[in-house]
Amino acid sequence: MLKLVRIEFTKLRRKKLLWLMLLSAFIMPFFAFLYFCYFGETGIEPVAFYKWSAFGFTMFIILPFVLGMLCTILMYNEQRFDMLKQLWIVPVSRLGYFFSKFFVVLIYSVCFMLITAIASVLFSVLPGYVVFEWDSIFFLLKKCLEIALFTAFAMLPVLAIAAVQKSYIMSVCVTLIYAFAGFFMTPINMYIHPLSCVSVIIARNGDIPGLTLPQTVHIPMALLCIFLWSFAATLFAMVILSRRK
Amino acid sequence: MQILLWAECQKLRRSNILMLNAFAIIFIAVIVLIGGKTTVNGVDFSESSGWYMATTLTWATMFVLPAMIALLGSYMICREDQDDTAKSLHLIPVSKAKLTAAKMIVTFVFSILIYLLLFITTFSAEAVLHFSGLSVKMVLRSLKMYLLEGAGVFLAVSPIIAIVPYMKKSYWMAMLLAEIYSFAGLFMSMSNTLKTFYPITAVFGVSGYYEASIQNRICSAGVLLLCACLAIILLIRLNSSQKGKIHDEETI
Repeated sequence: MLKLVRIEFTKLRRKKLLWLMLLSAFIMPFFAFLYFCYFGETGIEPVAFYKWSAFGFTMFIILPFVLGMLCTILMYNEQRFDMLKQLWIVPVSRLGYFFSKFFVVLIYSVCFMLITAIASVLFSVLPGYVVFEWDSIFFLLKKCLEIALFTAFAMLPVLAIAAVQKSYIMSVCVTLIYAFAGFFMTPINMYIHPLSCVSVIIARNGDIPGLTLPQTVHIPMALLCIFLWSFAATLFAMVILSRRK
Repeated sequence: MQILLWAECQKLRRSNILMLNAFAIIFIAVIVLIGGKTTVNGVDFSESSGWYMATTLTWATMFVLPAMIALLGSYMICREDQDDTAKSLHLIPVSKAKLTAAKMIVTFVFSILIYLLLFITTFSAEAVLHFSGLSVKMVLRSLKMYLLEGAGVFLAVSPIIAIVPYMKKSYWMAMLLAEIYSFAGLFMSMSNTLKTFYPITAVFGVSGYYEASIQNRICSAGVLLLCACLAIILLIRLNSSQKGKIHDEETI
């Protein structure tokens, strides 16, 4: 598996877009900076700043969208150049192939959220909006890593759709709708959509003040929802990939 | 030009992108309808007439539709290089700028149709939910807003689509840019000045979604026209650079 992951990264080394996509990690920290600059507030609670920069739209829209695009790019290139036949001949197992892509998504997600965390600290501490405290920085890092990990799992359905489609149009449309649905489903039911479940896990124990959740927080239920979607997505991808010659 | 437009429509007819987009539009409308069932302090938003049509328009424009329109435009432009049909087209010869212009026109029509479909979907839902609360004036105002949004969003994303032929096979980039560009509109709408001049929020001003003064509307329309001019300049430059390349090849 490690060899497959390493090969995936070697292939991606040539893709400049992936580096450019990482720049979108700065979007929300920058907008959070503008927001607090606009209202002229200083000495704000670190969590209030991080709620804007890392735990809000980054978690619901930006990260899922970027990961969805990454899933599509990863799968589309193999399909486009008809590389799958050769991979099956090597042989590379279908499960190994699928999970090697998933680990790339997971590592990319972690890198993305670490950049978001660093940018959040820079945009909050340097202008003097937030007082530098190690505790709040460790809290931010912990939450960012949790978001990265669970969002990568939550994106498995998109990866599965990208794996079974020969065109990129479908998976890109699904990414857009999937992220949009996660954002809109959260106030209705937090245990249906995997992205909503990520917000439940992040906001457990009232860690993020001001984030009102419509239902009582039930972590096992959120984990179960993510697991079921991930399992169904993997199963779906395996069935379709094994049928394909 | 007519032949090019006809050819583009024929190409699209074979692709499943139109069906996928139609499906996506209906799905967005359904998601917003479900989202509207949220009750905050005992108020069910979806019970007030007109709320659904207005909310769907805003969220779809902020999160999904500009990226979709940019995707369609860049897909049509990039597929010639991707399917290696660009060479055959140059042999005919077809001007690259004219071809791109035809693709832009088709994207413009598609943009308006996509908003029209969204309007039909939301209006049907509103009619089923609370027909008595709807007035002809409200429906016509919403229709005007949707159509102007369709045209405006196309103008706002047109520079992104026009830049695609310069960066070959960069449809991913176009989509990423369009998504960030539309998403940033959420924050631009916090300031009155930015709201007027930022293209995505300017669309809302022009369509009449925001209450805006005549001067602000003129400014917003000017910004959108500037976007269109930028797209036209990019297309003209593309044509001249192409001619330059042909001239260089002939000299060699």
